[in-house]
Amino acid sequence: MKKRLALIVLAIVVIIVAILYWREYRTYDGPVQKVTASKEQIERGSYLAKAADCAACHTASGGAPLAGGYPLESPYGTIYGSNLTPSADYGIGRWTKDDFYKAMTDGVTPTGRHLFPAMPYTSYKNMTRQDSDDIYAYLMTRPAVDVATPDNEMAFPFNQRIALIGWNILFHSNDPLPAISEGNSADWHRGRYLADVLGHCGECHTERGLLGEMKLDKAMQGGELGRFMAPDITPKALAQRGWTPQDVSQFLTTGMAPQGSAFSEMHMVVDLSTRHLTPGDQKAMATYLMGEAPPAAVPAPLGKGNEAGRMTYLDQCAGCHAREGEGKPHVAVSMLNNATLRQPDAKNLIVSVLDGLPAQNFPNGESMQSMPGFGERLNDEQVAELVNYLRVTWGGLPGDVTAEQVKALRSEK
Amino acid sequence: MSIKTKPITLTINNKPYGPMDVPEGLMMIDFLHEYVYLTGSRLGCGQGICHACVAIVDNPSGTSEEVRTCITGAHFFNGKKVRTVEGHAKVDEQGEVVELSPIQQSFLDHYSFQCGYCTPGFVNAATIFVEKLKREPIERDNLEEAISHALENHICRCTGYVRYYEAVRDVVLKTPGLVKEGAK
Repeated sequence: MKKRLALIVLAIVVIIVAILYWREYRTYDGPVQKVTASKEQIERGSYLAKAADCAACHTASGGAPLAGGYPLESPYGTIYGSNLTPSADYGIGRWTKDDFYKAMTDGVTPTGRHLFPAMPYTSYKNMTRQDSDDIYAYLMTRPAVDVATPDNEMAFPFNQRIALIGWNILFHSNDPLPAISEGNSADWHRGRYLADVLGHCGECHTERGLLGEMKLDKAMQGGELGRFMAPDITPKALAQRGWTPQDVSQFLTTGMAPQGSAFSEMHMVVDLSTRHLTPGDQKAMATYLMGEAPPAAVPAPLGKGNEAGRMTYLDQCAGCHAREGEGKPHVAVSMLNNATLRQPDAKNLIVSVLDGLPAQNFPNGESMQSMPGFGERLNDEQVAELVNYLRVTWGGLPGDVTAEQVKALRSEK
Repeated sequence: MSIKTKPITLTINNKPYGPMDVPEGLMMIDFLHEYVYLTGSRLGCGQGICHACVAIVDNPSGTSEEVRTCITGAHFFNGKKVRTVEGHAKVDEQGEVVELSPIQQSFLDHYSFQCGYCTPGFVNAATIFVEKLKREPIERDNLEEAISHALENHICRCTGYVRYYEAVRDVVLKTPGLVKEGAK
């Protein structure tokens, strides 16, 4: 009797799992949507799509805008951004605005397929219905691009979309992300919406837990991001590295500030998203990131770094960053006041020295030239000495970087 | 403010120099021009982009590398073996050039350059490329790509690169043993 009951239960479980599995992978053949929208709504949608930085993951290098295919590397494998054009078979051409809102805020498609949280619905969850509809109107009035999104390259069990049902129960709620600063002005609230919801800053700038969830008790306190680290951008940490709200706003506008220029993924964020925002919105983001009563920026204290590191600096770095670290306009950033150099964790500084950085263009015809990597020319000890020289001389930080740390980062590549 | 100096000893084009006192942070290009009067290396952009200024450093391991002298301090070269554009041609006892290196001759034969400002950098890059092929020959089919890779960092504003590339390919194909014919 017991055995029979067990068999029945097992059969039911198997059927439920099979149905859920089928739901994740069935194709959707709903009616193709024809969307008309006012010029104003489309313009608003275009603006919001930039504020939400959709293109970062949904436009492949050299691909059609928002037609998908960008490979997002995650610890669980490579996930490809999907096609957001109104293509009936490859894009969102059959989605209604209700479907779109659900995908944006709950991470579920019209067939019930669960999106991987690489899609930041965990941040977009508090997007207003109007903003979602405006983005939808914008996307659905673009030309359809019939390009299939490549299959994700993820290992079992991370590729199992069913598992996201459980993940969402654990980590997805409608509660807003914890505020990282204090304020109550219209600017502050707007900034919070831009940073936490649309801009989804926390998705990179927050450490993740074992299952890839944002650790909300450490919101915006810095996260791993491939080879580089997304730094702590809470008010205290920003001020500690010399940032003022004006500088943050300038950085979001131009990718450059007295604290340095945007590189790696943040350069893309400025390029695709924040530079397109209105000055009012850029200022609002800065107001939220640093709070309405921002902590005073800490000036960079000058120290005396080690002699071996100083010689390496003079021989390898001073040609572009200048003898006294003042940098060269349009060539290389200043070491004095440099915020990357002032990050307590030296990872980004070490990686920049080892790998170098590509040349980058910035708004208003500005540019920074490529920085060569010194991984081959300098050994682990020399890199550690150099990094310690920089930290002590211009960073107000201890020269405690070891050759082992450098070696570990070298082999990580 | 007095300028802080440190002694430097090095070999340039097989000739020993030093010990001589050289300011800390002096760039190698200035050392070559102002201290040892080797003015063939060109200061172009001064920020490591154009590669007109590259010199060759011969490593103890037998390999050689290009180093941009406009952004690299002279003291980096302390104790090292360096070659500049002056070191390639054969000279007689009076220092007069009697025979150009194959690369130099090929650049002339192909009219590879016009104004010549970038040429010292190209000579150095092409020279160590040919030397590398002597140590490690490559498949014939990969030659064009390898030349491109060897020269691509060097900027030339006159001739459009093609004649430099062709000149290097010519030298490689005329010199036995640098490329292997793959099985057809």
